[in-house]
Amino acid sequence: MSLYTVRRTVNDVAMGLCTAAAVFGLSWLVMILGALVFEGAKGLSLAVFTQNTPAPGSAGGLLNAMAGSLLMTTIGVAVGAPLGLLAGTYLAEYGQDSKLATTIRFINDILLSAPSIVIGLFVYTAVVAQVGHFSAISGAIALSILVIPVVLRTTEDMLRLVPGSLREAATALGLPRSFVIRHVAYRAAKAGLVTGVLLAIARVSGETAPLLFTALNNQFWSLDLNAPMASLPAVIFQFALSPYKDWQQLAWTGALLVTVTVLLLSIVARAFGAQRTGK
Amino acid sequence: MNVTSSATPELAAKISVRGLNFFYGENRALKNVNLDLHANKVTSFIGPSGCGKSTLLRVLNRMYDLYPKQRAEGQIVLDGENILDPRVDVNILRSRVGMVFQKPTPFPMSIYENIAFGIRLYEKLSTSELDGRVEEALRGAALWEEVKDKLHTSGLGLSGGQQQRLCIARSVAVQPEVILFDEPCSALDPISTAKVEELIDELVTRYTIAIVTHNMQQAVRVSDFTAFMYLGELVEFGETDAVFTAPKEKRTQDYITGRFG
Repeated sequence: MSLYTVRRTVNDVAMGLCTAAAVFGLSWLVMILGALVFEGAKGLSLAVFTQNTPAPGSAGGLLNAMAGSLLMTTIGVAVGAPLGLLAGTYLAEYGQDSKLATTIRFINDILLSAPSIVIGLFVYTAVVAQVGHFSAISGAIALSILVIPVVLRTTEDMLRLVPGSLREAATALGLPRSFVIRHVAYRAAKAGLVTGVLLAIARVSGETAPLLFTALNNQFWSLDLNAPMASLPAVIFQFALSPYKDWQQLAWTGALLVTVTVLLLSIVARAFGAQRTGK
Repeated sequence: MNVTSSATPELAAKISVRGLNFFYGENRALKNVNLDLHANKVTSFIGPSGCGKSTLLRVLNRMYDLYPKQRAEGQIVLDGENILDPRVDVNILRSRVGMVFQKPTPFPMSIYENIAFGIRLYEKLSTSELDGRVEEALRGAALWEEVKDKLHTSGLGLSGGQQQRLCIARSVAVQPEVILFDEPCSALDPISTAKVEELIDELVTRYTIAIVTHNMQQAVRVSDFTAFMYLGELVEFGETDAVFTAPKEKRTQDYITGRFG
């Protein structure tokens, strides 16, 4: 066998293995999504969007859980995203390789990969145990802590991709640094920054563990930030583990809703990303 | 002072560099440089890569301030004021000493905004006044005719040569006194290069210009004075004709005849 034939055979074998691995990995994903759509769609009805979570055996929907998820995610992102953006800006534009920046970057990497249940426990001891009861606001705090590292990281990465020559060009016009960052660097990195925030929303909208220790859950309609609040992940967790068929069905439907939301956010994020590379 | 014996008496120094040393960390990139940039003249800087000519340009508007490990020693006097003084407001300095870079660097915004942006920072103008200034700057950079119908489209959509002229227009729009060109044509085709050179010829009636170039024909075409630098030293400085036809230094002679560099 010539060297060339050997090389071709090795190539074919390697290609085959890679393809098999990809198919194996993806097939699970397809099966999960298939089961989710199949089981979840069965329970889809108008009631899901208009009624609150029911007692076992009676009809109901997921309205309070959706409202709770929306509210807590919104507050979490509204608090966490600006902090992440500012901190990311500091790292990319001011701190760079200073000791403080290196330390922040290291801690942020830990925070980024920390299990979310740890964040939940932290907020439980820091807020819930102090106040004496579960509350939506502590849930929002836990989510905001999860948002910060994601946004911080993408912000820094995106700003670092902005060419230094662009900053120099703006500086050469006599623009103060804050101006250069806000009007040139942010603008050049805009698509990336938006993508980071969207990804953070996608990440926290499916989080269960931090909410179980903080916002807990609520069977009824409540927008009181100082009281326990329902959320889709917490309701899914509770209903899926229950012995009641109608609760289990709502859990499937809720899971489908969360997945579709995350999917839509990812698509929007990708569209923004494409815009960045496109122009 | 180095070499200005050939200078005629009506020349006024816009910028005087005295005993300038520059360091990248421990590395000394400029060694005791002395020269004058004359008002309303084009001074070109030539020399092999790494000789310090771009560094010198970046000291003139304190661009090096952006980087913590770079520092300059000595004096650079702009209209009687030492700009290396830490008390100098670098933003105002940079609005007086503009810079055009090697690669075109349009901002990610419309053509109009690219120019209006810098003006707004220093002057409060009505919309019509601003429109006028933008047009004036674009005309000044010989770009108006090509872009007047698409002022509000992205500046990134222009060709390389157009982008570079946009950057020149942007620098001119804030009405500086000195414009520094750092190899402005090295990324451009010959036609765009010719346009930029024509532009420099026009601009010099209003501004003092310094240009770094690797193209010696360009130095001959556009400049009144030429500085030849080598290994961080200013080897020779004088009127362009004199430097290119009768260089005093052997190193200059070797460089311009292509024996090294």
